[in-house]
Amino acid sequence: MSEYNVVGKRIPKIDAAQKAMGRAEYIQDVKLPGMLYGKILYSKHAHARITRMDLSKALALSGVYTILTGEDVPEKMRMGFYKDNPPLKKDKVFSFRDEVAAVAAKTPEIAKKALELIEIDYEVLPGIFDPEKAMEKDSPLVHENTKSNVLKLPWKLHYGDVDKAEKEAAFVVEGRFTTTWVTHCCMGTSGAVASFDAADNLTIYTNTQIPSLAQKDFLEALKAMGLKNKRARVIKPIIGGGFGSKLDTYAYEHIAILLAHKCRKPVKIVFDRPEEFIATSTRQPTVTHIKQGCDKNGKLLFRDIRMVLDNGAHTSWGATTPSVMMMPITSLYRVDNVRYDAKCVYTNNTYSQAMRGYGNPQATFAIESNIDMLAEKAGIDPIEFRRINRNHPGDVTPQNFKITTCGLDLCLDAVEKELRKSGTKEKGVGIGVASLIHVGGGARIYKSDGCGVIIKMDDYGKASVFTGGTDMGQGLDNITAQIVAEELGLLVEDVHVVHTDTDVCPWDVGAHASRSTFVAGNAALGAAKKIKAQLLELGSKELKTTPDSLMLKDRLIFVPGDPEKSMAIDKLLRKIHFSPGGTMLVSDHFFDPINENMGPDYKGNMSMTYTFGVHGVKVRVDEETGKVEVLEYVAAHDVGQAINPLLLEGQVYGGVVMGLGYALSEEVMHVNGKNMNPNFRDYKLFTAKDAVKIIAPVIQTPDKDGPFGAKGIGEPGCVPTAPAIANAIYDAVGVRITTLPITPEKVLAALMEKKKNH
Amino acid sequence: MTIINFKLNNDLIEYEIKDHWTLLHLLREEMGLIGTKEGCGNGECGACTVIVDKLAINSCLYLAIDADKKTIETIEGLASTDGKLHPLQQSFVDNGGIQCGFCSPGMIMSSKALLDGNPDATREEIKHALAGNICRCTGYLQIFESVEAAKHTGGAK
Amino acid sequence: MRLPQFDYKGPDTLEKALDLLSTHAQDAKILAGGTDLLVRMKKGLIAPKTIISLKALNELSYIKKDKNTIRIGARTCLADIIASDSVRKEATALSTACERVGAVTIQHFRGTIGGNILQDNRCFHYNQSAFHRSGRQACHKDGGKICYARDESDRCNSTCQSDGATALMALGAKLVLVSKGNERTVALTDFYTTDGIMPFAMEPTELLKEIIIPVEGGKSSYQRLAYRSAIDYPIVCAGVLLKASAKKDTIEDARIVVGAMGRAPLFLAKESSELKGKSFTDTKAFQKAGNGAMNSASTFAVHNVGSTLEYRCATVSEMVFRALQEAVAEASKA
Repeated sequence: MSEYNVVGKRIPKIDAAQKAMGRAEYIQDVKLPGMLYGKILYSKHAHARITRMDLSKALALSGVYTILTGEDVPEKMRMGFYKDNPPLKKDKVFSFRDEVAAVAAKTPEIAKKALELIEIDYEVLPGIFDPEKAMEKDSPLVHENTKSNVLKLPWKLHYGDVDKAEKEAAFVVEGRFTTTWVTHCCMGTSGAVASFDAADNLTIYTNTQIPSLAQKDFLEALKAMGLKNKRARVIKPIIGGGFGSKLDTYAYEHIAILLAHKCRKPVKIVFDRPEEFIATSTRQPTVTHIKQGCDKNGKLLFRDIRMVLDNGAHTSWGATTPSVMMMPITSLYRVDNVRYDAKCVYTNNTYSQAMRGYGNPQATFAIESNIDMLAEKAGIDPIEFRRINRNHPGDVTPQNFKITTCGLDLCLDAVEKELRKSGTKEKGVGIGVASLIHVGGGARIYKSDGCGVIIKMDDYGKASVFTGGTDMGQGLDNITAQIVAEELGLLVEDVHVVHTDTDVCPWDVGAHASRSTFVAGNAALGAAKKIKAQLLELGSKELKTTPDSLMLKDRLIFVPGDPEKSMAIDKLLRKIHFSPGGTMLVSDHFFDPINENMGPDYKGNMSMTYTFGVHGVKVRVDEETGKVEVLEYVAAHDVGQAINPLLLEGQVYGGVVMGLGYALSEEVMHVNGKNMNPNFRDYKLFTAKDAVKIIAPVIQTPDKDGPFGAKGIGEPGCVPTAPAIANAIYDAVGVRITTLPITPEKVLAALMEKKKNH
Repeated sequence: MTIINFKLNNDLIEYEIKDHWTLLHLLREEMGLIGTKEGCGNGECGACTVIVDKLAINSCLYLAIDADKKTIETIEGLASTDGKLHPLQQSFVDNGGIQCGFCSPGMIMSSKALLDGNPDATREEIKHALAGNICRCTGYLQIFESVEAAKHTGGAK
Repeated sequence: MRLPQFDYKGPDTLEKALDLLSTHAQDAKILAGGTDLLVRMKKGLIAPKTIISLKALNELSYIKKDKNTIRIGARTCLADIIASDSVRKEATALSTACERVGAVTIQHFRGTIGGNILQDNRCFHYNQSAFHRSGRQACHKDGGKICYARDESDRCNSTCQSDGATALMALGAKLVLVSKGNERTVALTDFYTTDGIMPFAMEPTELLKEIIIPVEGGKSSYQRLAYRSAIDYPIVCAGVLLKASAKKDTIEDARIVVGAMGRAPLFLAKESSELKGKSFTDTKAFQKAGNGAMNSASTFAVHNVGSTLEYRCATVSEMVFRALQEAVAEASKA
């Protein structure tokens, strides 16, 4: 939008120069005086009882300060959504990832050597690795204090009358879709440095996406350790990628705290790459049974979904992803009758966590693959079928989501236009599309969905902005600075964004749910508006005019068209400050969107606005090897208003390639709970040579509630990628792959099966 | 212990090293040059890429002892002494080639080695040269654009 | 990730290197590019006391072309081979194979042809961290008596995933091995043991000095299958060499080799000789050769490189078929 000076501009990332020079400090680079190095020993079995532990040889090693085991963990120190996971396990281990001991030593080498000297005997127990089998009656129990492996966390919603709608449907299709483990692969591995001051207050450097909730977890940990009324200060170094992986607190952070307290010295734990693969969380694997039906005109009548999620051995936020899966299930396209039942099941596998899209990619894979099946059965072009059923502004979905702005139709048009550009159909080449809905205006998962921002103006026309929001590479610092600069008539370089320290930054629920631009952006806008009001008020006195006749632009405060009534903003600030009874301009704003928590029937408008998008892809399938080549990719998103198109494109491109990995190549290979590919050679991330050309049409439908009309766009890029690919493969060679990733093995096997049946 | 002599970003260095140190260890842990990152330690990700005698190599699989008598360029040596970014660095900044930034020093070093030897590198040649540098944030496109844009701003010098 | 401690020796002549090797043979390893050796050391798969580096041994870095052979020094880096016009022209399969290795930053500039041939066999049960392996009984290659890839197997079934070796075997290459006071030449087809623990028939005191590729006017090609366009090892590969008749329409002689399917690249003698006299357009014969490759490979290949055995067997025939077609296309052009 041309009326803006800073918003909507392709302004490079504020911290990029620092990063380009190799000066940015990540957790790997943090060193404190006297710091020790911690290392963690993991279980050798997927499920076993610990029968003996002997630390004597390890403790005798020179340079070892201390060794902790499950015995040393306070009873109430527990992690995760269920608080069912102590940072070090006592008596029993539940997965290969389980931590059993930790060392603090003078050097990383000594710590590693000490781990090798720890002797532990195990009594191996039968393990269970398949969630569907784990639901059977005679299955071994992962947690013996439970009656069943199924978590007491039933996700169940039922709107309309699905059975009746099914009877009335002209066409009905069914399918079973499965997804497996994939992992974030942040280039900067996880790590933390914990340190206590003389009064037992904690300072922890950690690359978290949830500084305020982490602070709460750490305060609870201190309390469990008997350290009541102490302070916990969370400092974030530059974060080497998040993608949801840092949305909980982890054993390594709690262990660093315990070691640092025991040794009275700072302790650093940083993962190496295999450890990052083995001991951080994955996206949840799912098994989805889906049935959808439509009338003879293609109008979608019902959607019926049963789902089983592999919870792993402990319960982190992964178990709550069905709450987000409900969003596409109830609200992607108009559908009145919806039934969804999901069960999370304990297994002896690794436990899952948040990952970009938070369940949405799994659900959308099933829905959008199945929609193509339904369109085919109804004899309707898949793009047309989606047009028939698209959402409209003003819709209220069965889950009570209020659709404010919706550019789904424009996204469909944009994708179709690009895909149909290239002429006739070649053999083995096909196109596929898939749509998405995602929260675009925050998401009330926690009690608060808010973010606080403080702005402090100095005497030189510069603004320091202290935000609760977190920049982990996605660019929130820019969004914040651009919004504040726009509002205050400053340049981006006049705005310094501080997001690193809970001692100075206000509360925020965390960088998740594509919420930061909307929520932290609105908080920044609110605080800037308060500064602006003060500037106009005080400026009007200096310039002898009324506040509403004044404008802020290009570091000036002025009456448009009146050169006499103009003043530099920094000069005004000094005037205000250095006059009798002077004042400094400071403002704060806490923005909590009017998003609703879901009620007992899971109804509630989770987000103030929703982001829509359509992805289209053209693939070539090699029918002799099953290899799929992506020829062209179009990802159109309705973003409200782009605050920074350069960064927006970066989010879309990055999301799409992550989604392509999910669709085609990425898989954490587990054999009986053991990770078999904990490295970049065997875990197949797309390389630069595999990168594909992506066209990313940006559809702008300014949203009245978004800051300058913006909606969130962090996650959508990887949501509909897999079904778009699956649909394109079907179009190309007529085989429907229903399990991710769609490897050449699966495609070739399906092609051979098809040949056999013909 | 062995003493090696090498040129590092235009400085002549004499350093006493242990035989089993990698060049990455020497640069990061001993000399405090934190710009060179360890992403995997096994030559699979390229975060530790530096230039040795004009070739981009992974310093995690290069013994420090083999740096003797070599000319080594790291990310710290690219910007000019007055603080001005190297055209490639500036191009990565301007074109969205950097998000979390962890892969960026390695990406920029691989790109520099490419353009130093092949100032007119095509998109395909860029993809080939960066195939050993993994990025999880950008999907690579803005990185390719960064390298291409630098070709015309003196990045190829 | 740090390396375990070792003593470093950097001989600057072949003679010195062989002296060192004869003294330290039992606990020394040769370091050429380091892209395989150093990774294995970091994983704790091996911990040699002494490293004999070939870095200063420039005399082993060369590509020499004469009338009937191309001779390549063992320490020649892959980038030099890729850049060599004579290799591209006369030994295309090798050129292509080297291009496909790893990624440019490390494997091409650092990796050497000797190191590529002598890279250790791999198996996803074995190529894991020391901690991973310590959680279960040791396999054959780890000093134990079990094979996780094939039940009841009395030997190690780890797989040779060398692109270079497969291409070179198709080209009929020979290796020159030297030790103190001794030198011998061995055909690559005779260079392999039948046990993945030590897959190469060479003495610990021996050093690979040179690769000799006969150049007799044949056309060669190399095909591999991997998930990605870079970094990956092949999960299946094939190299072929074809010699055309004088009229350039039939096959006078052929060599077919499949790789990444077993403990060593496999020269398919029967399928190769069956192609003699076949017309360039006889695609049925090529398909038959491919199916033969599949049948042979499926008798010994195991599920141990991250892809399914069924898939690798199903695609090896296609790799052979494509390699033959490509070589025929070149041969008919020439």
